[in-house]
Amino acid sequence: MRGVTEGVRRERGRWSPLVAGLVLLLGIAAVTAAQEDDKHTIEPAQARRAVTLIHARCAVCHTTDLIVQQRLPPDRWQVTVEKMMHWGADLSKDEADALLQFVTARYHPGATDHLPSIEEELAMTAPAGGPSPASDGPLVGVSARGAEIFARNCQACHGEGAMGGAGPKLARNKILKNEGAFWETVLHGRGPMPAWGSVLSHQEIADIHAWLASR
Amino acid sequence: MAVTRRALFERVLQGIGVGVVGGGLDRALADSQVETTGQASGPLTVRVSRPFDAETPVREFTSWLTSNERFFVRSHFGPPSAEAIQPETWRLTVKGLVKDELTLSLPELKKFEPVTITAVLQCSGNGRAHHRPKVPGVQWERGAAGNAQWTGVRLRDVLQRAGVKPQGLHVQLQGADRPALPTVPLFTRSIPIAKALHPDTLLAYEMNGRPLPLLHGAPLRVITPGWMAESCMKWLTEITLRADETPGYYMQQAYRIPETSIQPGSGLPGSVMVPVEQMPVKSLIAAPAEGDTLRIGPVTIQGVAWAGESPITKVEVSCDDGKTWAPARLVGEEQPYAWRHWQYLWNARQVGPTAILCRATDAQGTQQPEKSPWNPGGFLWNGWDRLSVTVAA
Ligand code: HEC
Ligand code: HEC
Repeated sequence: MRGVTEGVRRERGRWSPLVAGLVLLLGIAAVTAAQEDDKHTIEPAQARRAVTLIHARCAVCHTTDLIVQQRLPPDRWQVTVEKMMHWGADLSKDEADALLQFVTARYHPGATDHLPSIEEELAMTAPAGGPSPASDGPLVGVSARGAEIFARNCQACHGEGAMGGAGPKLARNKILKNEGAFWETVLHGRGPMPAWGSVLSHQEIADIHAWLASR
Repeated sequence: MAVTRRALFERVLQGIGVGVVGGGLDRALADSQVETTGQASGPLTVRVSRPFDAETPVREFTSWLTSNERFFVRSHFGPPSAEAIQPETWRLTVKGLVKDELTLSLPELKKFEPVTITAVLQCSGNGRAHHRPKVPGVQWERGAAGNAQWTGVRLRDVLQRAGVKPQGLHVQLQGADRPALPTVPLFTRSIPIAKALHPDTLLAYEMNGRPLPLLHGAPLRVITPGWMAESCMKWLTEITLRADETPGYYMQQAYRIPETSIQPGSGLPGSVMVPVEQMPVKSLIAAPAEGDTLRIGPVTIQGVAWAGESPITKVEVSCDDGKTWAPARLVGEEQPYAWRHWQYLWNARQVGPTAILCRATDAQGTQQPEKSPWNPGGFLWNGWDRLSVTVAA
């Protein structure tokens, strides 16, 4: 199971797809007026999935500004994404296809110089306000599931066994006792720490918390 | 952990002159960058926030030496962990095809004769954004270059102490920086023995008279004057003498150009790819700035020109978008490997938009081309520099 696809599916269930779609369409129309060509249009749901994937899987090694500044034809995008997967970008075949469709449509040689960042794309496609942990009622994390979700999404920065790396050590970190701070940091990010609110479901974050607390 | 992260963070701040306190390394960088991406509002124009890639706004090039705070930064993986380069425990090892392996601390290294050289450093991808068709990579425009004073010891002296065996034809350089995931190839490079033994090739520990800043390779980096900067390994820890060129991505695939020119846009060229080495002749306009509105009357156009290991003999300026050219005056310091300042006094008489261009010629008679030969990595851009300006009454 992949955290990202799971998260997106849940979110789509939560808000009206029509509203989300309109927000996205307006956003895209506003920023990429140059893209009138039909072959460059992207379905809102597809775009959201791709942007979420870029945010969650590509930013492990470098920020996504490196991606947004490229203006490449499809064959060079394909070679680039394959190179990234070879180096460790974690994408299934299906996810890679979705991501490629998006980047070739959005960051093509004729696109305008300044396009929104991936964070801005995420914000444009997110529902106003966003869900809060409380609105889901009390969640019980399952530590056994948390281990795998952590390995897939957090380990690259926080290290194996959450012992630290590019990001701080999380095992026995005192933030685990301060649930408010933990959720705030994980949902919304902090500095280089990505925001996971649109990537992982609350159940998945609770699972990670449970696993971390058990370490 | 907290202490070392903070220490690292503070050294980074010294390096880039960001006035932020608190948070981690990446956070400090991210704070200073988010809004500045692709814009020249801070001391540097940020291209990639992590690992940190940022270029110098070309207006800074009106100064002969580029200050440490304003010097472009190119990171493959970013600074190593503080532990890996702690002054007390940091060591340089020299091994491979040598008679005696060496392990040197910084004070031991500083016992070799010190040398200071002023040299231009330029990222091979500088100007990548100008190549057509566009190519993947950091989209550097004009400012991934700078001129600084480097103080250190001769690589040759260190190699002579170790005693290079006759089979040792390539000198492999490894820094302490590491990728986020171990599946990413290390940034490992090699230079041919002839360049390594050149008396001007340095292991530098000072930049513009100050300890080498973290972002520029503290405590020690290689300086190969006249050559592109990917040979100038930062955070140097290992020198390995080998019979052949270093294998791996960053030597065998990245930083290579076709030996003979190829069809623009072609994917992987059939022709032989050779490592990027010497800097080609190039000039840039530092003032006025792109998009400026100029008063009718005299306008001083100024900039820099350099040509790797060769001196600059001529810079020409065109103020009518390339129709006519006039020689600029070469001014200021003239030193091997450093850039040369030039000036041109233009009497702007016609109101309206125009383009200002410059092109340089080196002592071999090689002239900067209108456009550089296309190559799939987008390296070595040295096309004529061009500014759009408007003359107003
Ligand atoms: C495992 C680490 C890793 C991951 C994950 C990763 N990249 Fe990269 N990426 C790199 C490295 C290393 C470079 C080369 C940087 C350099 O040249 O120093 C790079 C460079 C790039 C470049 C610049 C072009 C080039 O070939 O140098 C693009 C575009 C890019 N990555 C896109 C992506 C995308 C899209 C994803 C997500 C699918 C991704 N990356 C995920 C490591 C990674
Ligand atoms: C791209 C790297 C990266 C990834 C991936 C990442 N983090 Fe982080 N994380 C960081 C960094 C860096 C910090 C420190 C932020 C700061 O200095 O403000 C951090 C901080 C945190 C903190 C606060 C720790 C403290 O001591 O205050 C928590 C909690 C956290 N991350 C949880 C997670 C979880 C859970 C995941 C996976 C869902 C994750 N992180 C994925 C880089 C990352």
